[in-house]
Amino acid sequence: MSLLEIENVVAGYGAGPDILTGVSVSIELGTSYCIVGPNGAGKSTLLRTIAGFLKPRAGEVVFDGVKMNGSRPDQMLAAGVCFVPQDASLFPAMTVRENLAMGGYLIDDRTLLRERMDMVYETFPALAERKGQNAGTLSGGEQQMVTLGRALMIEPKVVMIDEPSLGLAPMIADQIFEKIRGFGDLGITVVLVEQNAVKGLESTDWGIVLDLGAKEFEGPADGILADPRIRELYLGKALAPRGELS
Amino acid sequence: MHWVQIVVLGLLLGGVYAMMASGLTLLFGVMRVVNLAHAAFILVASYITYALFESLAIDPMISLLITMPLMFGLGVGLYLLLFPRLEDSPRYVEMTVLLTFGLALVVEGSLTFIFTGTFRSVRPDYASSAVNIGDIFMPTSQLYASLISFALLILLWVVLRFTKTGTAIRATMQNRAAAQIVGVNVRRVSALAFGIGMALAGAAGSLLSFMFPFFPARHWQWVALLLALIVLGGMGSIKGAVVGALLLAVASAIVTDQVGPTWSPITFYLTLFLILLVRPQGLFGAKVRL
Repeated sequence: MSLLEIENVVAGYGAGPDILTGVSVSIELGTSYCIVGPNGAGKSTLLRTIAGFLKPRAGEVVFDGVKMNGSRPDQMLAAGVCFVPQDASLFPAMTVRENLAMGGYLIDDRTLLRERMDMVYETFPALAERKGQNAGTLSGGEQQMVTLGRALMIEPKVVMIDEPSLGLAPMIADQIFEKIRGFGDLGITVVLVEQNAVKGLESTDWGIVLDLGAKEFEGPADGILADPRIRELYLGKALAPRGELS
Repeated sequence: MHWVQIVVLGLLLGGVYAMMASGLTLLFGVMRVVNLAHAAFILVASYITYALFESLAIDPMISLLITMPLMFGLGVGLYLLLFPRLEDSPRYVEMTVLLTFGLALVVEGSLTFIFTGTFRSVRPDYASSAVNIGDIFMPTSQLYASLISFALLILLWVVLRFTKTGTAIRATMQNRAAAQIVGVNVRRVSALAFGIGMALAGAAGSLLSFMFPFFPARHWQWVALLLALIVLGGMGSIKGAVVGALLLAVASAIVTDQVGPTWSPITFYLTLFLILLVRPQGLFGAKVRL
């Protein structure tokens, strides 16, 4: 049985049309995934639906064998699914340390919290130097590191990261991708949504192509990268030849 | 000495204003709801205090212990009953303005029905006495009321700063989406914040009952003043609400003394205009996103 099973999920915002028109995806423990596809394909919507921010209109979200559709974000998190949204969503008037502590909001054990925080500082040494600084005053790359570090605080089974490279300089983005690749060693299954498909696929094992709210194709990430036909058919401009977008 | 006297009188009133305004700004910060019924609920507590004083001779400062939990419960209940239905509405802000305006009307109507529209006031012994420290004169009622208000404000600060629930409330005020992401149940936090805001309204109602005479329609005047205070301080900033309240109360006391009491109410709005010209986001506010 897969860790996370998405079956024929239909979802959309408010009274608007269906953005996801019936997506089925299986996420296996220990594999990392990159969801790619053109703008408006429903990549972010899929993550938001799994995370509990959006209720599916139909279909099922099954995590660890338990049916979770319609669960609140805090319930999904407690189950082990952590979401890192597009805009580094921090608490701007809290320090880096307080932001990380908020990441462990669901944990009551103070010793465990302290251990986790040390672990995060080890993974992101740059944050240790900025412990006492307000998150709102950090650079874009540092803010992204805080959001990723905050996600580690809860030791999730799955972390879903939406466009981690958005708005970052290429060099900083590379650092972020390197950190994300390291999540696998911590036993965390990564599901990435990335507009920069080359970078995203290079950093993960398995690629999932979404278009018009449904899965078009999936396969090994390096296979997708190597296959010019798939590139042209499914990704168009989203997957430009190496060098052009990176 | 004269000036010290004026400032002290302003600060005494300002303490009570500060508590009223912090409840309102807390609600706005957590829920993005401008509660137009805040002052109406303050009046509910004033009338409860009045009824307790008239029937059981309970001191208004003691009835705080009754009005605060009562209003807390009412706040949580009202929130759970009315607000979750609006949460997904694309017209959330407009709907909540209408909703709280409607609540204010319902409360005013009910109070008029039960207590009639005549002026009421609660008159314990200290309502007409005064304390003199050196040359400074302080009406006992205002002294007590502002001491209790400051104590409650400190309590609010301690709760927000040092408890887990308080941290969750602050986090939700700063970034609601991020709070959800780290596992804060924002609906529960909103219900609690509504309850805390209403408990502060309850305390304010009990205190105001022996400071000023009141009648059911009085709340419009109060809520206008409170809105001025929280806009001045920066919407959603409790520190701003407190500083704004003290500042405006002192300004108003000075105008009363120098120009005359007729001009005192206009001080609030005039100061508000002037400060907003320089700082559109208020004294401590972040740029407001509605």
